[in-house]
Amino acid sequence: MRKADYLSLSLRSLRRSKVRSMLTIFAIVIGATGITVMLTFVTSVKNLTVASFVKTGQILQIQVSQSKDLQYDPNGTNGGHGDAFASSGSSANAPKPLSVELENKIAALPNVTAVSAMLRSRNPFLSHIVYKGKQWVIEVVVGYEPNGVIAPTLVAGRTLTMADTHNEILISRPYADVMGYSKNYSALIGQKFILQTNNGYTGAGATLPNKLPPQVQCEQNKRGCFGGPTSGLPAMNIPATVVGVLEDDGSRQPLIMMPLSLFVGIYNASTPNNVRYDFQNQGNRGNNLGNNQGNNQGNNQGNNQGNNQGNNQGNNPGSNQGNNQGPPQGSGTVIGGWVRPTTTEFLTNNGGFDSLMAKADKLENVASIANNIERLGVSTTTGLAALNDQKAQANVIGLVLGALGFVALFIAALGVMNTMIMSVLQRTREIGVMRALGARRRTIRRIFTIEATAIGFLGGFIGVALGSIFVLVAKPVITNMVKAGSLTGATFTVPPWLMLMVIAGTSFIGFISGYFPARRAANLDPVEALRYE
Amino acid sequence: MNGIDLRQVTRSYQLGGESFDALHQVDLHIDKGSFVAITGPSGSGKSTLANIIGGLDRPTSGSVNVDGNDLAKLNDSDLSNFRNRTIGFIFQSFNLKADSTAVENVALPLIFAGIAPKLRKARALECLDRVGLGDRANHLPNQLSGGQRQRVAIARALANHPSVILADEPTGNLDSARGKEVIEILSELNRDGITLLVITHDLDVASHAQRIIEVHDGAVREGRVAS
Repeated sequence: MRKADYLSLSLRSLRRSKVRSMLTIFAIVIGATGITVMLTFVTSVKNLTVASFVKTGQILQIQVSQSKDLQYDPNGTNGGHGDAFASSGSSANAPKPLSVELENKIAALPNVTAVSAMLRSRNPFLSHIVYKGKQWVIEVVVGYEPNGVIAPTLVAGRTLTMADTHNEILISRPYADVMGYSKNYSALIGQKFILQTNNGYTGAGATLPNKLPPQVQCEQNKRGCFGGPTSGLPAMNIPATVVGVLEDDGSRQPLIMMPLSLFVGIYNASTPNNVRYDFQNQGNRGNNLGNNQGNNQGNNQGNNQGNNQGNNQGNNPGSNQGNNQGPPQGSGTVIGGWVRPTTTEFLTNNGGFDSLMAKADKLENVASIANNIERLGVSTTTGLAALNDQKAQANVIGLVLGALGFVALFIAALGVMNTMIMSVLQRTREIGVMRALGARRRTIRRIFTIEATAIGFLGGFIGVALGSIFVLVAKPVITNMVKAGSLTGATFTVPPWLMLMVIAGTSFIGFISGYFPARRAANLDPVEALRYE
Repeated sequence: MNGIDLRQVTRSYQLGGESFDALHQVDLHIDKGSFVAITGPSGSGKSTLANIIGGLDRPTSGSVNVDGNDLAKLNDSDLSNFRNRTIGFIFQSFNLKADSTAVENVALPLIFAGIAPKLRKARALECLDRVGLGDRANHLPNQLSGGQRQRVAIARALANHPSVILADEPTGNLDSARGKEVIEILSELNRDGITLLVITHDLDVASHAQRIIEVHDGAVREGRVAS
């Protein structure tokens, strides 16, 4: 028997009991539509995740950190272990610091194209960012080597490059927003800003006099008020140029990013060596006690620990003690000159970099590089793992949603089976006649399985069509809903493989559901079938 | 070997644990090209006999040979082929497909034979012409009278050039005039060389046959042929 004849015989019987066929097909349609819509949603989200990872090159990044429990941070802005200037008392089980030496070792590993080191501070060395006479508090400053490894996402301007040695900085969107440029970020590009330091600034560009002005008495908890021997020194205005506005990572964290060299310049403070005060405070100590305590507390909370540490390590104990117990009231004279640690010393004092970001040449090498880096005694986080995590998440959602669809399809399959059993029963006599006229068992079986498969196919086809229409209609709604969220740019189109899969799947379900009724039809005794009323 | 040859054919059924022979050790030979009427009361086994000759049923024991086909040796596929090409079945209730036109009904065995659509349409129309229904080819069964329906069924039986036509009460659902028409057509086919077996209660119909076989309680005997 010819293939086309099987098809026409099967379809003819479908058409004969239109209502029954329609209802059965409709059940399949519901399941197929559901699966199409749900899986389309999941795959678009998944593809978007992959695309954004690949686009920003994050997929090639390997973040190096000291401890295992860090979250991957593609922009490198939130990584590290908090304050760069936290005291790093090196106990026996302290994690291995991320040193320059380690950075060089990683850079020398095979397939590593570059490594970028990152330092981060919440320390208010810098107090305000000033633009057109208005000022905003500086909270987090991140310095990184702008060698292309760390690629922050921007809403305007450009990212930093190694050529940026003239105080170029990036500011985050929350700054731009409060500055009133939320609708026109690019207007900020190339604008001159001022980074205002706190009093007592002794970083790059500061005048370091031999005569120290009297120390500042700070009110308790007063923001940005430095104590210590240099606290009498004036604040400084560091000119800076904004070259780019960073996209907000969702935290609304006001953030300034700058080249690591600028960062080290600002934060690597000089300290006076051996200060002699004009008026020792021995007699006044009792008088000053309340004040001093408040001052010290203020210092600690203001994260001025780095400064204190520098003092502790570099200064003579006498002065130090005096400092701890209360600032001398008079001006001081620097006897031993000013000391500025080398960058390496600065890093060592601060416990190394906050994080290192290595870049692989190819996606295939990411895993092996991460492995090699971990052999150096540090932990790594790759975009790969994060990507796989996100993919796995999307997969789980897809699985749950898909399972619902499959339940619907399973019920539909029972419907198909029921319909086919009815069909066989109703056509028992016809089956007998066909057998008498020379139809083989195989022929009868095929006619019925094809009929059931056709129900599945039609249901899948209509389901995919309805699903596509639904996705098309829902797309603007969904896109609107998640405009600000991370789904911007998701395609939300039904992928062709999904269409094929759904149609093939429902056809197969039809086939399976129809197989047993069809076999029953084929095995009917023709004599009995002919006698059937 | 030509003709139909049954040797020691027994067909048993299991009924409530007891074995019951619908046919019991039947020996029968029917010449090729003959017109044989099979008569007998209900439940005598005459339908079983026809079904076994037509390859719809298999004997419990014994051998059946129809025009050189040893039916015991054929599997389902070959037996289906045999029914398709050697036997033409005609039923009391016509058994036409209600949703198919006359010509489509006639073409059905040609579909099972794997014949190309054009050829089978031509052959189906030829068969319809043969029974005088060439002008009703595109009518559905419910647009035809009972006699016309049975003639469509005859055309369907003819489609694959069978050597044997098995008609089970072909006039049972027809009035005597239409019944007579049908018998005349069948007789005509018999004159063209087709072996014709008609199962009938109707003595009028039987009287057209050259030979009458009476079936009683699973056994056959020669009946009287009307002069």
